[in-house]
Amino acid sequence: MAAHCESGTLTALLKHKGLEITEPMIFGLGSGLYFGYLSHTPNLSFPMFILRTKPGKLRKKIAKRTDIKFNTQRFKSEDKAEQELDELISKGIPVACQVDFYYMDYIPQWERVHANIHFITVVGKEGDEYLVSDSYFPKLARIHKDKLRKARFAGGYLAPKGFRYFIESVPETINYEKLIPVSIKNTINNMIGVQPPFIGVRGIRTFAKKLQGWPKITRDIDHLSHEVMKINVFLEDQGTGGGGFRYLYATFLRQCADKISNKELEEMSKKMMEIGDGWRNISYFAAKIGKNRDLGADKLKELGDMINERADAEEAFYKELKVVINNI
Amino acid sequence: MIECFDYLERKQRVIHFNFVIMKEKDAYVDFEPQQLIMYVEKEDGTYGPIQTGSYISKNYLDDFWEKTVRLRSMLLDKLKKNEITSIYFYKLIHDFNDVELSRRTGISVRRVKKHQKVDCFKRARLSDLRKYAYAFDIPVSNLLQTIVVGEEEQNPDIESEKRQVKVKQSRTENPFLVITKIDLNT
Repeated sequence: MAAHCESGTLTALLKHKGLEITEPMIFGLGSGLYFGYLSHTPNLSFPMFILRTKPGKLRKKIAKRTDIKFNTQRFKSEDKAEQELDELISKGIPVACQVDFYYMDYIPQWERVHANIHFITVVGKEGDEYLVSDSYFPKLARIHKDKLRKARFAGGYLAPKGFRYFIESVPETINYEKLIPVSIKNTINNMIGVQPPFIGVRGIRTFAKKLQGWPKITRDIDHLSHEVMKINVFLEDQGTGGGGFRYLYATFLRQCADKISNKELEEMSKKMMEIGDGWRNISYFAAKIGKNRDLGADKLKELGDMINERADAEEAFYKELKVVINNI
Repeated sequence: MIECFDYLERKQRVIHFNFVIMKEKDAYVDFEPQQLIMYVEKEDGTYGPIQTGSYISKNYLDDFWEKTVRLRSMLLDKLKKNEITSIYFYKLIHDFNDVELSRRTGISVRRVKKHQKVDCFKRARLSDLRKYAYAFDIPVSNLLQTIVVGEEEQNPDIESEKRQVKVKQSRTENPFLVITKIDLNT
C-alpha cells in the first residue's frame, strides 16, 4: 500500500528496478503539493478542490529532474493495448496503467467514484484475470480483463486512452543536493508565486469564500451534506497520507533535512506537520457538521474561517521556507 | 487504541492555543474494510507511514448509505411518474454532468441534454442507448427497466447477503441481450 496512487506506483516501480527511494521523496522531488479550487471546469458536476498537481505531472517532473528513463505509451486500439500489456508482463516487467477508479471492483463500493486519474501496477495474468498492485488495497488484487480494458479506455475528462508506463532504467544515485532546492522552490512557486486566484494559497482563500455559496448550488440538504463531507474524503481518504498531503510533504522535508544535513529544514518539517493537523481539524469538522446536517450559514462561516486560517499559516510557512531554501 | 473521536475532542480543546502534531497512537482507526496509509509522527520522533482504517467510513458510512438510498428512491419515484428519464437517473447516480456524459459516450452535449427530457427520450437511437449503457456500466435493457426484489422495494438498503433472492445479470456476445438470472440466496 501507499499513501497516494501516483507516487506510490512510481515508488514501487523504482524499488523494483533497484532504486531505494521513499514515497514522500518522490512526491516532494516531483513537486506534487498543490492547491486548486476548481469551479468552472466544464466536466465537474460540482466545484471541487485539488491538493496535488495534475495527474502525470509528478512523473514528468521526476523524469526531467533525474535520469530515470520511462517508457510511456497511449493507445488508440484497445486490442493492441491489451496485447502489449500481456507481452510486457509475460517478460516480468511490472506496468503502471492509468485507469478509471470506478472499475476497480476489488475496492469497496462506497469508495469507488469515476476518476480517470488512478494508477495501478499490473504485475501478472492468470487466465482472464490480471494481478494488480493497488496503492489503496492491502493485498494483491485481481481484475477481469474486460474490466481493466474498460477502465483503461473510459472516456471523459483526463481519459486514460490506455496510457501505461514502465521504467527502462534508473540512475545509480540521485543528486539530492541539487534536486531538493529545485523541487521545493517549484512547490513554493505553486503555492505563493504568481498564480491565478484559484491556485495555491489564494486558491485556499477562494475555497473558503466560495464554500459559503454551496447551499445555493446544491439540490437539497442531503446533497449539501454529501459535498461538505467530501471535504474530509478529499483531505484524508483519497490518497493523501492525511491532512491533504501535508503530512506526506512534512515527511519529505524531514527526509531532505537528513539527506543534506540541514537543521532548518527539520524545523520546517515540524511546522508543515502542524499545518497538516489544522487541515485534519477541518476534515473532522466538515464530517461532523455534514453528518448532523448542521449546515447553516454560521457553521459554513466557521468552516470557511478555519480554511482561511490554513491559508494564512501556509502563506507564512512558504515565505519562511523560501528564505531557508535560498540559504542552502 | 485511542479512537479518533477522543482525539478530535482533545484536539478541539487545544486548537486555539497550540497545535499537537499527529501522533502514531492517535492515528489508528479500527476499520478493516477500508485501509489506507497515513503519515504520522512515530513513537521515536521520526515521520513515517502507518496502515490504518478510514475514519470517515468507520464513523459515517451509514449516513452515506442513507443519503444514497434516499437519492435513488427519490429519482426512482420521478422515473416511475415519467418526470425524468433513465439517462438523467443514471447521470445523477454516477455524478456525471452533461459535458462529462457527452465525453464518455461520444454523443454531443446538445443531444445528451435532449435525451434527458422525457419528450425526447423516445427519439434516442438504440445505438445511443448502447453508448449510455456502456458509460453507466449497465446492460442496455436496464435503461428501460428496474429490477426490484420483494422486500428490497420497501427496504432498498438491505444488505445483499441478507436478501432471499439473488439477481445476477450477465452480458452476452449480443450487445443488446442480457441474461438476468434469479437464484435463491441459500
